[in-house]
Amino acid sequence: MQREVASLALAPTIKAKLIGAGFVRVGDLHEVSAAELRIEAGISLQESTEVLQTVFPRSHEKGSETRWMKATEILEQEKSCRSISTFCAALDTVLGGGIMTGKMIEICGTPGVGKTQLCIQLAVNTQIPASFGGVEGHSVYIDTEGSFLVDRVVDVAEAALQHCKQQHGKTGQLGALENFTLETILSNIFFFRCHDYVELLAQVHLLPDFLFKHPKVRFLVVDSIAYPFRHEFEDLSVRTRLLHGLAQKLLQLASQHNIAIVLTNHMTIRLEQNNSALVPALGESWGHVSPQRLVLYWQGKQRFASLTKSSRQKEQMVPFQITSHGFHDVQLFQSQVTASISSATSNTTTVNARKRCRVEDDDEHEDCL
Amino acid sequence: MNYVFVSSHLFYCTITFHFFPTYKIVYFSSHKHNSHMKKDSSFTDCISSFRTLSLTLVAINRVLLAQYASFPINGADLYDELLSSTAILSTGNESLDKLLDSGLYTGEVTELIGSPGSGKTQVCLGVAANVACELKRNVVYIDSTGGLSASRLLEIVKSKVSTAEQQLDALRRIYVTEVFDIFSMLKVLQTLRTGGFPESPSGSSSLKAVIVDSVRAVLLPVIGGNQIEGLSLMMQLAGELRMISRDFCVAVLVTNHVIRESNGAVKPGLGRSWSHVPRTRILLQHVNSEMTTQNGLRRATLLKSSRQPCQISEEFCLGSWNHHKVVKEAKEDSIPEEAH
Repeated sequence: MQREVASLALAPTIKAKLIGAGFVRVGDLHEVSAAELRIEAGISLQESTEVLQTVFPRSHEKGSETRWMKATEILEQEKSCRSISTFCAALDTVLGGGIMTGKMIEICGTPGVGKTQLCIQLAVNTQIPASFGGVEGHSVYIDTEGSFLVDRVVDVAEAALQHCKQQHGKTGQLGALENFTLETILSNIFFFRCHDYVELLAQVHLLPDFLFKHPKVRFLVVDSIAYPFRHEFEDLSVRTRLLHGLAQKLLQLASQHNIAIVLTNHMTIRLEQNNSALVPALGESWGHVSPQRLVLYWQGKQRFASLTKSSRQKEQMVPFQITSHGFHDVQLFQSQVTASISSATSNTTTVNARKRCRVEDDDEHEDCL
Repeated sequence: MNYVFVSSHLFYCTITFHFFPTYKIVYFSSHKHNSHMKKDSSFTDCISSFRTLSLTLVAINRVLLAQYASFPINGADLYDELLSSTAILSTGNESLDKLLDSGLYTGEVTELIGSPGSGKTQVCLGVAANVACELKRNVVYIDSTGGLSASRLLEIVKSKVSTAEQQLDALRRIYVTEVFDIFSMLKVLQTLRTGGFPESPSGSSSLKAVIVDSVRAVLLPVIGGNQIEGLSLMMQLAGELRMISRDFCVAVLVTNHVIRESNGAVKPGLGRSWSHVPRTRILLQHVNSEMTTQNGLRRATLLKSSRQPCQISEEFCLGSWNHHKVVKEAKEDSIPEEAH
């Protein structure tokens, strides 16, 4: 009741009229009918009805009350959340078991380092049945660059199927694989192609409805967030506003629908006085947006992934490789990787899955990309 | 004469009419006098009525001014009040405590700024854990970036107390809410201010810290361009934060971003008008700016303070809130629980 009218989510002109008419606090609007408000403030009936609806939302509407959670409840929530494995055990360890659902992560990298490959891998891995330690959810793929290749998805999906079949031979989970076929994998990836930032913004604003209809979606990727925003803007402050508004919207979706959100970003060169450095694009302020940031880069002939920002994991870097079957650990570092796996005793099923994919690709060292 | 009368009349009328409903009576009575005066045109009557009226108006003016002006307070009283109401909350990190003159002061807004990944959220989590765990006070954590990680909180708490019961107790004192836009942020702060906080049995006075991570996330989508609306919302947020810190005697900790200038120097985000909001401001930086050094070592620099000389800096290890830490930093962290 003490809340000031100026702090409400109303149009500035309407707020000015309300305050001018003497409605300074929410309490002043109490028990005022829409018709009365219309005459008092000099606004249309529709506007006054909207004002009253914003000020006094009906109690059953979601979000009308502030939700306080104790840290213990959040801890329970985090424990119950499953992670999406990348099929690269070392990378999973760095990320704390994989890509967490309900959180956002930004993946940056130079062209061809494997951002899209990782996204495709994750879109497939999201659907691994729960009995194999997967999330068993659907994926949403928003492509802004046109780099999504469906035949690549087929490759990765077949490899994932193969991998699960081998595992099921040992553990004997026949039933679980019945609903996990190439066809279901492909039909459970929802693909959107957005050509510019307007389409992307429109799509993201429509997502709440889409997610309401598809409650099983657990993974959403925007590949890439940088492309539509890097060149089309003359006024950078407009870009900042739109980008950050978009990011807050996505963060909200991640938290409300328990979805892992991946945004991919380009790298750019920042010139300093004497040297230049390769940094993620979209400016320094964008770097704050995502609570986690993974940078993929080349070092010699080896791809590396480096976690440069995270609120729960330590900063670390690991090598990885991309084969025709998707993401994998690097053989040379096997002893090191084994050590790191044995230290991570959280989820035995995923550990098994990781071990397998290393054995499996013993005979394929070639890098298909 | 007549002109003076009318103008003073109007002046008082406009001032008092808004504030003082009883003046309506005076207003109407003077109006009556006025018309009466014109009819009878008795000059002495007019003068006397004007005198009584002006005396009344002066009296009313005094009452009003006295009502709205603030009272002078004795410096000694002020000091007593300060001693009784202010608490200094240790952050649990010795280097930061040194910069902050032994910790976060209640009744003040403290700001942490830094580039991405410089450890702002880690410091927030560390402070929350320390206040909940060591000082046994309630903490409100308003998360607008999705950066809060309860498992990391537990990790920090585990390094302080050993039994599971104590650890859970500490986590129960941290109240978290997620907001994703400025309007819900203002709403949360206002419900907090008007007693909408889920009170623990020991009463609301046990709430000692409000952490907002971050103000950037909710403000950047509305600020910039030719919009005045965004600035107004920013100042409202500033007002709310200040009011909460003062009225409830809590320490308010907010995080903000930095802007990198073309010469590589950094300056605080959100511009000059926001710079007046925090009383104390600390800049967090990577010690080695190259991306390949992954040691968690950070430098904290004091940019604004009313107690300590500015630009003093301290180095500390982000992991030092729990047992993972760089060996050479061991002497800097003297938290006894970390000895094991």
